[in-house]
Amino acid sequence: MSTLNIAGLRVEVAGKEVLKGFDLTMASGEVHVIMGPNGSGKSTLAHAIAGHPGYRVLAGSVTIDGVELLDLSPTERTRHGLFLALQHPMEVPGVRPRDLLVAAGASPEGLTERMTLEAQRVELRPEVLERFVNVDLSGGERKRAEMVQLAILQPKFAMLDEIDSGLDVDALGAVARRLREATAQWNCGVLAITHFRRLLNELIPTKIHVVSEGRVVATGGPELAEVLEKDGYEPFRGATT
Amino acid sequence: MTTFTESALTFLDARRDAPSRAQAWDAFSTLGLPTTVDEVWRYAPLKELNLEEFPLAPRGELPIFSPFATALASRAGLVLHVVDGFLRGVRGAIDGVRVEATEAHWSPRYESDAFAQLNCALTPATISVSVADGVHAAPPIVIVNTTTTGASFPQTLITLGRSSQASVVEYLEGGMAALVVPLTEYVIGDDASLTMSTYQRLDATAWHIARSTGRLGRDARLSQAVISIGAHYNRSRNDAEFLGTGGENELRTTFLGSHDQVHDFRTRQYHVAPRTRSTLLSKGAVADRSRSVYTGLIEIEKGAKRTDARQTNHNLLLSPHAHADSVPNLDIRENDVMCAHASSVGPLDELQRWYLESRGVSRPDAERLMIQGFFYEMLATLPRNLADVVEADLSATLGQVEIVTP
Repeated sequence: MSTLNIAGLRVEVAGKEVLKGFDLTMASGEVHVIMGPNGSGKSTLAHAIAGHPGYRVLAGSVTIDGVELLDLSPTERTRHGLFLALQHPMEVPGVRPRDLLVAAGASPEGLTERMTLEAQRVELRPEVLERFVNVDLSGGERKRAEMVQLAILQPKFAMLDEIDSGLDVDALGAVARRLREATAQWNCGVLAITHFRRLLNELIPTKIHVVSEGRVVATGGPELAEVLEKDGYEPFRGATT
Repeated sequence: MTTFTESALTFLDARRDAPSRAQAWDAFSTLGLPTTVDEVWRYAPLKELNLEEFPLAPRGELPIFSPFATALASRAGLVLHVVDGFLRGVRGAIDGVRVEATEAHWSPRYESDAFAQLNCALTPATISVSVADGVHAAPPIVIVNTTTTGASFPQTLITLGRSSQASVVEYLEGGMAALVVPLTEYVIGDDASLTMSTYQRLDATAWHIARSTGRLGRDARLSQAVISIGAHYNRSRNDAEFLGTGGENELRTTFLGSHDQVHDFRTRQYHVAPRTRSTLLSKGAVADRSRSVYTGLIEIEKGAKRTDARQTNHNLLLSPHAHADSVPNLDIRENDVMCAHASSVGPLDELQRWYLESRGVSRPDAERLMIQGFFYEMLATLPRNLADVVEADLSATLGQVEIVTP
């Protein structure tokens, strides 16, 4: 059992403070969903934790089982059990997915077979993984390819940034099903960032956190989604927990 | 020690019955070696080149293949072993493909090129590979070009008959303290298609001054890759002449510079006939104190209507002391054409690197994967069964290059 703890995280993007003291704690096997309007700081959270060069952490702490991730390089953060699936996974011309995974620490033995199997589980044509990383893939294919990486690397915690955007209903179902299975298969903790409620139909959350203006303003169970559905984000604006 | 001139005169004396050799030698004697004042040689460290230190390489003992050459050869249908320009062995056979050594060839296109004139005067023979009309030579043809020492002038002619197809891989190795001046022509008949890959892996002390010309007939296709790793000074000029309607040339040139290497690439796509197409992609990486220059000329004659000519040049800087230049030139005498060129010089993409790191790849591994990837993209012309060995060889070499990111 592992714990991911985010405390008082403040992050600046292009000179502007976007996260203003973000707190969240979750355990392995749980599914947490972060919801909030555009510009509330959801994506900033994911990128800052993963060490994206465009984001500057001003204060706060992100730990897995007490190890401070913010003191580590992006590589070491991932190797400590944190994986970010991006909203727009980047094309890396000339690099093959298999070579990426081996360099990321996956065992080469039987890797191609495991990748093929994982591709099939998210309904991705396996031959796509023989090409270069994300090159010429559609948005939906890229997200499924991120799921293959996730399943091979089996992190303690998976952060998914807007995993549902640009996916059709079938693809969304396949991705959500894979995430549910991950929670059972290796007790993966899932932290999904979205501003669409439809993901929640597929991925039953342990907790929902509503984010507004760089902070968590409400936390609750799946019932919180119904409040959001009925009244939108307006009632949460400027509120504090 | 014998000087270059002494050895050349002895060589020519034994070949007095070949007038084109004497003609080429006279032309060279008149031209003399170029200097950096000459625009087309301005990036070459010619001051360091003392021709007299390179006596002509004689036909000597037969060197054995390196393990890499052996690996390439084992995957080919037909293997030519060329040593210092001498055809020393032919292994295997493909129906409809003929290999022979013929008397050296000369062309007026080499008039002002001193090194090409030297080649025409001093090459042991023209090594000719010809594919008969209509023949599809499926297994790859491999030419292992071994250089020993001194000066050598390999000359190669690859001829494709009408509607024929072939894939040729040429590999250059050896060449410690040598001067290698290869001269190559690809004559591609109507509706024929040649896939040509050259992998230059000469010793880091070698001078390599190469020139190739593709002559394309109607609807002919030349898909060409030139991958250069070795040599102290690597000059690679690759031209294409579009003589028939509908010809197409896809050229990929790539290099890795390290230490104080100079890579000097030139291309000339000469569009004479209408509806011809040239696509040129040049990509290279320079590390340490190495330098590169890419000079690309697109020349379109009046009447070559609907020519489509594109040039792209990307250079990767792997050290603050490395330098890359890109010089595109257009000479267009026809209005109804499509021409484009683009170039970039810079370090590795920071966000791509972060993406790999965020998967758990270490920074050095991420950089190596990206640089390796930069080259893998250029190997598209290699037959699949040969690409694997070339990739493995390239990544071993890249593993030795120091990457200094700003």
